[in-house]
Amino acid sequence: MSIDYAGFRRELESFVRGACPPEIRAVVAAGQKITKREYQAWQQILNAQGWGAPSWPREAGGTGWDIRQRLIFEEVMAENDCPPLYHHGLGHIGPVIIRFGTPEQKARFLPRILDGSDWWCQGYSEPGSGSDLASLSTSARLDGDAWVVNGQKIWTSHAHEASMIYMLVRTSKEAKKQEGISLLLVPMDTPGITVRPIQTIDGWHHLNEVFFDEVRVRADNLVGEVGKGWTCAKFLLERERLPPANVARLELMRRQVTQLVEEASRAAAGLRDFSGLHHKLLLCEADVKGARVMMAQATDDLIHQRPLGVQPSVIKMTCADVAQRLTTIALDAVGPDAAHRFLAEAGDDVPDATWIQNYMFTRARTIAGGTSEVQRNVVANELLGA
Amino acid sequence: MSTSFPSLFPGMLLDAASRYAEDHIVVAIQGDPVRELGWTATLVPEEAGGVGGSLSDLASIVEGLATHGLQLPVVETCAVVPLLLQAAGAETAHRWLEAVAEGSVQMAPLTALSATPDVNAVTARHLDIGYELSGTVQGVDATLPATHYLVPAQVDGEDAIFLVDAERIGAPKARYRTMEGRVGADFVLAQLAVPESACIARGAAARDARAKATDAALLLTAADTVAALATLIRQTVTHLKERRQFGVALSSFQVLRHRVADMYVKYLGAKGLVIHCFNDYEQDAPDLRRTLRLAKVSLAESARACAEAAIQMHGGMGVSEEVLATRTAQRLIASEFRYGDRLLHVAYLLALAPQASAPHVSFSNQTGSVR
Repeated sequence: MSIDYAGFRRELESFVRGACPPEIRAVVAAGQKITKREYQAWQQILNAQGWGAPSWPREAGGTGWDIRQRLIFEEVMAENDCPPLYHHGLGHIGPVIIRFGTPEQKARFLPRILDGSDWWCQGYSEPGSGSDLASLSTSARLDGDAWVVNGQKIWTSHAHEASMIYMLVRTSKEAKKQEGISLLLVPMDTPGITVRPIQTIDGWHHLNEVFFDEVRVRADNLVGEVGKGWTCAKFLLERERLPPANVARLELMRRQVTQLVEEASRAAAGLRDFSGLHHKLLLCEADVKGARVMMAQATDDLIHQRPLGVQPSVIKMTCADVAQRLTTIALDAVGPDAAHRFLAEAGDDVPDATWIQNYMFTRARTIAGGTSEVQRNVVANELLGA
Repeated sequence: MSTSFPSLFPGMLLDAASRYAEDHIVVAIQGDPVRELGWTATLVPEEAGGVGGSLSDLASIVEGLATHGLQLPVVETCAVVPLLLQAAGAETAHRWLEAVAEGSVQMAPLTALSATPDVNAVTARHLDIGYELSGTVQGVDATLPATHYLVPAQVDGEDAIFLVDAERIGAPKARYRTMEGRVGADFVLAQLAVPESACIARGAAARDARAKATDAALLLTAADTVAALATLIRQTVTHLKERRQFGVALSSFQVLRHRVADMYVKYLGAKGLVIHCFNDYEQDAPDLRRTLRLAKVSLAESARACAEAAIQMHGGMGVSEEVLATRTAQRLIASEFRYGDRLLHVAYLLALAPQASAPHVSFSNQTGSVR
């Protein structure tokens, strides 16, 4: 049976316009940082509607939507200033548990992701292993009925707010780099875990270092087979190679920055020349249109089970590049007024300065999730051979 | 590597044009291949003896030629001419379209390659016994011989289209080679008298036809650019894999690998944008012209960046016209300035009331080609 995508879109639009609270939409519309509070509240509303997990199969409590429906869902969410879904639980570890977890793990963890009770973070990167993830050294040894974890993770988003962390640990040093790695699910309140904030250039607190000192984790929190965590990690990365939210959110950001530039231009009353910024915005608009077609084509390839090739890398690089250019335009638009009031005291409202924070935050887009240099290598290997 | 560059407009027309271009790339153009191969009939309706094809069909031919670097005025001869002719009354249009389709006349637009067909370079004055045309048209494509010219003009504040014998127009004031290897010419019309019947359309009909010709020219030039970009990157990849420096292939240097990767990302973005434009054209989108101007500006940016990168990566060979990549780079830069340059289109875009275009999802075509 063919899906009525236009009807599906109308149904979504009708729901989100009525259901998403204005105060949450205001945060998104203003380009402010979306915190656990907004994410969780919106997750609960969506879950009550049965749309808590767009990417999950029905039997796991998901919607069973195809990727085109997910893309439409993300677009409607972005067009209506709704928060994106929080990805660590729904997009990352949830599907891994569905694929590799035991029935007991599914029953224990999945409902709490769906209803927003558990807030997950990802323990992959380590000080000595970023892009070269296979070189990680945080260890876990089996001691009776528990794994004992020692080591350090870094760049861990939301670790200070999370109730759970999914992490790769080295359970054997004898095998090759990619072997001897296991995937462990760890409650963040376990004794021996220390979270230390990393002060980032945007002034927001989202990244952390996480230290593990003789942390005891129940043995049945290991997902899949011992030493086969790399398989789970690869599954996770491949599943999320095409995050539909990226392109949809880009269009939202473009509209926000366009509005910002128009307002700033009017306010400047001819004292500053905004024509260069308008010109750059046009180029961004064209690039977003191109990216949308790329995303649609990749979606089509996924649906028809054709190989994706380098498309995810190209889309990732394009989205990161456009996002950085857009926030640079915003920086130029608000800079003179906002640069000297970067961080407001609690309670004070400095809306323009948010764009300076966004500009800083967006620098990470070409670093996180595989640097643009790594993505260029992927593309170059396709064109030129390894 | 062919899987990295799937055709935009696949099909028999592409294959035929591609083969022709490959066979004639280093041979001086003899005769009038555009008409001899019957391409002028592509857009002409079937009832006028044409093929009744679409702009995508014509884009196949454009892509085939661009892929192998052959320069022929297909856009002008096969798109602008029939679209302008269709503004005439039914009988006149039918007669001349038939002649165009069968190749019994060689018709060309008397328009500057650097301007869109909806721009008036010529002014007409209505006299008792006909019209008088005045104006200078610089940079008209004169690659192929012409027996007739279609002259867009302004008459009493109205748009109009004139059909004039080439003999009456006379010889150009100057001829030259264009950047991409075509023949260009400047024409000066100094109170040129033409009969009443030379005015084949006036008012709304003329304005609409010139607008359609402009849209078509912008679309097809964009298709040409994407096809040329694919060729440029393919040629650069081949060069980097074959050429050795310091005992190793150039393709082993990461800085060059990343540069090619950046070109490829620009190419895929440009391709996506052109597919978007053709989808908008087929759906008769209300903001089509705005999207086409946007594409023009964006493609100019990408094309020039890739052209410059390719020349650099080819080293000394990159400045030799013998090299296909160099000629393709010339083509890309020249295309930037055809049918309005980026500064002109930006001026139009910024003069319009700022509008956030309504986002919409179009999944009508997902195949990677525009068909």
